[in-house]
Amino acid sequence: MQALKYARAASVDDAIRLLRDGGEAARVLAGGTDLIVQARERRREVHLLVDIKRLAETMVLAYHAPTPPDAPPGFYIYPGLEVGAAVPLYRVYGDPDVQRHYRALVEASHVIGGTAIQGRATLGGNLANASPAADSIPAMMALGGVARVVGAGGTREIPVAEFCTGPGRSALQPTEFIVSLYFPPPASRSGSAWERFIPRNEMDIAVVNAAAYLAFEGDTVSEARLALGAVAPTPLALPDVAAALVGRPLDDAAIDRASAAASAAARPISDMRGTEAQRRRLVGVLVGRVLRKAAARARGEEVPA
Amino acid sequence: MTTADRPERPQYRVIGTRAKRTEGPGKVTGTTVYTADVQLPRMLHAKMVLSPHAHARIVRIEGASALAVPGVSRVVTAADLSEAIRDGSNPAVNPSNRGDALIAHTEVVFAGQPVAVVLGESLAAAEEGAAALLVEYEPLPAVLDIEAAMRADSPLARRPAGAVDRSEESAHVTIDVHAEESGSAPTNISSHVSFSRGDIATGFAESEVVYEHTWRSATLHQGYIEPQATVADFQPATGELVVWTTTQGQFHERDTIMKTLKWPETKLRVIGPELGGGFGGKMAQSSPLVSALAVIAKRPVKLVYSRKDDLLAGRPATGALVKIKTGMKRDGTLMALEASVAYDSGAYPGAPAATGALLMSSFYRWPHLKVDGYEVLTNHVSAGAIRAPGVHNVMQAVEQNIDEMARQAGLDAAEVRLRNAVRTGDPMSSGKEFPAIGLVETVERAQSHPLWQHRDEVRAASTSTKKRGVGLAIGGWLGGLQPAAAELFLNSDGTVNGVTGALDISGTNTSFAQIVAEEMNLPLEKVSITTGDTRTAPFAGMSAGSKTLFTMGKALRDAAIDLRQQMYEVAAERLEANPDDLEVDGGEVRVKGVPTKNISYERLAAITTGFGALYKPLVGRGTVTARVQAPGFTAQIAEVEVDTETGFVEVKNYASVQDVGFAINPMSVEGQLEGGSVQGMGIGLWEEYIYDDSGRLRNAGLLDYRMPTAADVPDIDSTLVEVPSEDGPYGARGVGEPSITAGGAALANAIADAIGARVPMMPATPERILRAMGKLGGSEAAGG
Ligand SMILES: Cc1cc2nc3c(=O)[nH]c(=O)nc-3n(C[C@H](O)[C@H](O)[C@H](O)COP(=O)(O)OP(=O)(O)OC[C@H]3O[C@@H](n4cnc5c(N)ncnc54)[C@H](O)[C@@H]3O)c2cc1C
Repeated sequence: MQALKYARAASVDDAIRLLRDGGEAARVLAGGTDLIVQARERRREVHLLVDIKRLAETMVLAYHAPTPPDAPPGFYIYPGLEVGAAVPLYRVYGDPDVQRHYRALVEASHVIGGTAIQGRATLGGNLANASPAADSIPAMMALGGVARVVGAGGTREIPVAEFCTGPGRSALQPTEFIVSLYFPPPASRSGSAWERFIPRNEMDIAVVNAAAYLAFEGDTVSEARLALGAVAPTPLALPDVAAALVGRPLDDAAIDRASAAASAAARPISDMRGTEAQRRRLVGVLVGRVLRKAAARARGEEVPA
Repeated sequence: MTTADRPERPQYRVIGTRAKRTEGPGKVTGTTVYTADVQLPRMLHAKMVLSPHAHARIVRIEGASALAVPGVSRVVTAADLSEAIRDGSNPAVNPSNRGDALIAHTEVVFAGQPVAVVLGESLAAAEEGAAALLVEYEPLPAVLDIEAAMRADSPLARRPAGAVDRSEESAHVTIDVHAEESGSAPTNISSHVSFSRGDIATGFAESEVVYEHTWRSATLHQGYIEPQATVADFQPATGELVVWTTTQGQFHERDTIMKTLKWPETKLRVIGPELGGGFGGKMAQSSPLVSALAVIAKRPVKLVYSRKDDLLAGRPATGALVKIKTGMKRDGTLMALEASVAYDSGAYPGAPAATGALLMSSFYRWPHLKVDGYEVLTNHVSAGAIRAPGVHNVMQAVEQNIDEMARQAGLDAAEVRLRNAVRTGDPMSSGKEFPAIGLVETVERAQSHPLWQHRDEVRAASTSTKKRGVGLAIGGWLGGLQPAAAELFLNSDGTVNGVTGALDISGTNTSFAQIVAEEMNLPLEKVSITTGDTRTAPFAGMSAGSKTLFTMGKALRDAAIDLRQQMYEVAAERLEANPDDLEVDGGEVRVKGVPTKNISYERLAAITTGFGALYKPLVGRGTVTARVQAPGFTAQIAEVEVDTETGFVEVKNYASVQDVGFAINPMSVEGQLEGGSVQGMGIGLWEEYIYDDSGRLRNAGLLDYRMPTAADVPDIDSTLVEVPSEDGPYGARGVGEPSITAGGAALANAIADAIGARVPMMPATPERILRAMGKLGGSEAAGG
C-alpha cells in the first residue's frame, strides 16, 4: 500500500480546489470500495484522497412527483429523482420513492457487493469508476439518468449514456466531479427492470447485465430505453434497438427482434469470465427478460427482482 | 440429521452427544489468537516477490531499487539461504521437492514461484520494496498441458532431480503400494503406478453395455480462509528458534524445519495456534522459509500471505485427466474397468497418482480391471494435498460412467451401485482386503432417501427453460494411520486436564474431552484438553488423513483408563479394597456395590500432590499405534435446476449419507459432512484455476476463484450410518475426507439428468453446460 494523504472537502469549492492543487494523483473519495482496493493493489497511483461525503450537495436524496394537474397556478417544482453522488446504495434501494418509480435502480444497487459494501458504495463511484461491467450504469442509462458535474470550469450536465469513454475512462475533466445524479420522473404507465448474469448467486462481476425502461400508451410502446453492460469497452446504450420497439405492441415477435438486435449490437470480448459467444447469447436472453419484466411492471404487476 | 439404525452398543453418557465445541466462543467473538496475530518486538515483515513467468532463467536480481525504499532492511535471494543452514549447504540449489525450493535458484519453474523476499520494518515498506525490486528473466519453453507433457518428445518442465521426499503425501493416506519413480530417461512423468485383475479383454467381451469417456477436472485451491502465515523468532545468543505457524501438524513442521535448516530439535520449538482451515494445505508451506529468514536477519520475521500469494504460491490440489472405459451386463453386473488418471502435479512431485489409481478401481467388485495412475510434471504451481487428495477427480469419472451405463440399461443407478459395491473382506485393486466397511449400508440409505425416491417427480417439475434433475454418486476414503500419544492430569479440584500435540481443526479437542469424561465418569465441563506445542506435548501426527480422532481419540481413551487405574491403586490402599472392585462415579472412586466406601477425586489429587504427600502424582498416559484402517464411504444426492437459456445451475436440495462408524460428537460429524458437501459443490460447479496461454494464473483472488457463498448452498440433509470400525475408538471412523469425494460427481449426474447431456470438464460452468447442450459455437474461454 502506498502512503496516502486524506482531506475532507468542506464545500464543493473546497473539493475543486483540493483536486486542482493535488493534480493527477488526487482522487475523489466516495465509498472507497473501488478506489481503496485499486490503490492497495497499485492499479492506480493515488496520493491524495478528497472525501466528498460530508457535503449537503452530494448527500441529497429527494424525489419530486411531476406537478399535479390540480396544483395552484404558479406552482412548480422540478420533478424527478436527485441522488447525491455520495449517498450509499443501501439508502438508494431502501428509499420508498425509488422503490416505487425506479425499480431497475433498486435491482442493480441491491446486488453490488454485499451488505457491507452497500453501506459505503455509491452510484457516483460506480459511474466514475467507469467499469464496462458496472452494475448500476445500464440501469441509470435506461432510466434516463444525467450526471450533474462541477469543476474549475463551472457546472454541466452529462447524460449517463455519454459519460463513459473507455474502460476506466470518463468524460470528466481534471478537477471535475459528480455532485449528483438526476433521473426524470417515469411516465404513468411505465416500468423498468435490470438483470445480470453471474455464475453464482452473489459476489461476482457481471458476465452480462441489461436494463430496460418501457412506457405504454394503450397496448403500444410509447417510450423505450435499453442498455447493456460487460459487452463493450463501456456500458452500452442501445437507442436504435429501443426505438424499434416504439409505436407497436410488445409482443413475442417484437421481443425476439429486440433480443436478436441487441445481441448483434453487442461487442463482447472473450475473457476468463465468459466467451464472446456466451456473452452474445446471454445478451439475447437478458434483453428478453428485462423487456418482459419492465412491461409487466408497466401493467402494474408485482414482479419480484 | 437422521441416524441410521444403530447396531446394539453400550449405553454411553457423554460420547454420542451433541457437545458444543469448546473453542467455538473464541472464534465466534473474535478473541482467538491466530498466527497472523502474533507480534514480537523488533519484528521484521516479509513480502515475497513472485515470478510472473511459468518457466524462465533468472538473469539478474538487482536489490538496489528495493533497498532504496525507506524501511526496507534486506533483500533475500536463494543464494543467501546457505547463511541459514547449519552446515552451510543450500537446499534451493536443484531441489527435488517443492519443500526445498524455498526461493527459486537461477530458474523459475512456475508462475508464482518466489524469487526473492524483501524484509522491511513495516509491511508497507516490505511491499513497497517488493514492488520496486528489479528482476530480469529469460523465458524458457513452458509445459502446460498434461497430455502434451506426457509425450516422450515433450520438453522437460524442470531439470531432473534426485530422490523425492513423499512424507506429505503419506501423511494423508496409508496405502501399501508405492509408485515406481520413473526410470532412466528423464520425462515429465515422475511417477506411475498400475493395478490389474482378471483379463480386461474378456471383461469387455462379456459386457453388454460399454461406456467410454474422457473427463477433465480443474486445479483447485483448498479454500482455507486463513492464509498461510509464519512468525519465526531467532535468538542468536542461544540459537533458539521459536516458530508460530499455520499448520495441521506441529511435529511435521518441526521435522521439516529440522531437515531443511539442519537445525537441532533441542533448539527448535514449533507452536501451532488455532487454525483457520487447512484441508490438506497447511503443511510446512511457509515455516521453513520464514525460519531461514529469521536466522539470516537475526531478528523475528513475520510472513502472512496475501490472498493472491496464497493462490499463486500455495500448493493447490491437482487437476486431472481421466480416460475411462467401463463395461456392464444388462442386469447391472459390472464387468470391466479400463482407465488411466494423469494428475497435473505442477513443477514438483506431490500428486496422488497411487491413491487415485487405487481408489478409482477399488469401490466396486470389478472382475476385470486395468488402471494406471500418473504423476505428471508441468510448469504450473506444484500441487499439495486437499481433503481426500485426488479422489474427487476419479470419482467424477467412475460415477458418471456408472450412471450413464445404468441409464442405458434402464436400471436404477443406486441399484447398480448396491449390487456391485465392495463389502468387508473384498479385495481392493491392490489385492489388500477391505477391513469392516459400510458401503452397502450407506448406498441403501441413500437409495431409500426421499430425494432419490422422488426423482421422477422432480424431473416432472421441469419447465421449458428450467430443467430439473437428480443425481447420485458415491465416494470414499481409506483413512490414514499414525501413532499418537496423550497425557492426562488429575487436578486439585477433581477435574482432569489433558495435553496432546494434535491441532484442533474440526472440534477434536471437544471430542477428546468427551472421551475422557466418558471414561472418568465426569461431566464434560470437568475435562479440558489443550493442544501443546512441540516442546510441551508428546508426539502427534498431522491433523490430516481423517485420522485425528481415529488415532488420538484412542490415545486419550487409553490415557483415561491409565489414569483411572492409577487412581484405583491409590484408592485401594486408602479404602482397603481390591483395585479390581473399584469404579468411578460422581467424581469419586468407590467400592462397587458399597457407595459409602469412597474417596473423592479432590482427595485423590490432594494426597498425590500435597506437600509431604505419600503417593506419586497421577499422570495418565496413552500411546497407541493404529494398524487397521477404517475406510469411510459416502453417498450423496443432488437435486439441481438448470436454466437452459443461460446454463446457470441452482442446487435445490442436497443429501449426504456417510458411514461414520460411531459419531462421538454427532454435531461435529454433521459439520464435516456439510463442509465436505459444500466443497464438493464448489468442485462440481465453480472452483477452478484459470491459466492463460503462458501459464499465468488469471483468477488469483476470491472474486474470480469462485467458492460457493452462503447464497449458493441449500440446506444439506445429513444421515449418519454407523457401521463400527474394528480399530477406531468406540468404532469411530475417520469422517473428514469421505464427504468431499462425491459432490462433484453427484452434481454432474444431476445436471446430466436435467439436460440430457454430459459436461466433460469439472467444474460444470454455465458456459460448459451451454456448450454441452450444443447452444454455443466457438471454443472455450482461454485457459478454461
Ligand atoms: C467486495 C466488492 C464487491 C463489489 N461488487 C460489485 C458489484 O457487484 N457490481 C459493481 O458494479 N461493482 C461492485 N464493486 C465495485 C464498487 O463497489 C462499485 O463500483 C461502487 O459503486 C463504487 O462506489 P464507491 O462510492 O465506493 O466509489 P469509490 O471507490 O469511492 O470511487 C470509485 C472511483 O470513482 C471516483 N469517484 C467517486 N466518486 C466520485 C464523484 N462523485 N465524482 C467523480 N469521481 C468520483 C473515485 O475517485 C474512484 O476513481 C464491488 C466492490 C467490492 C470491494
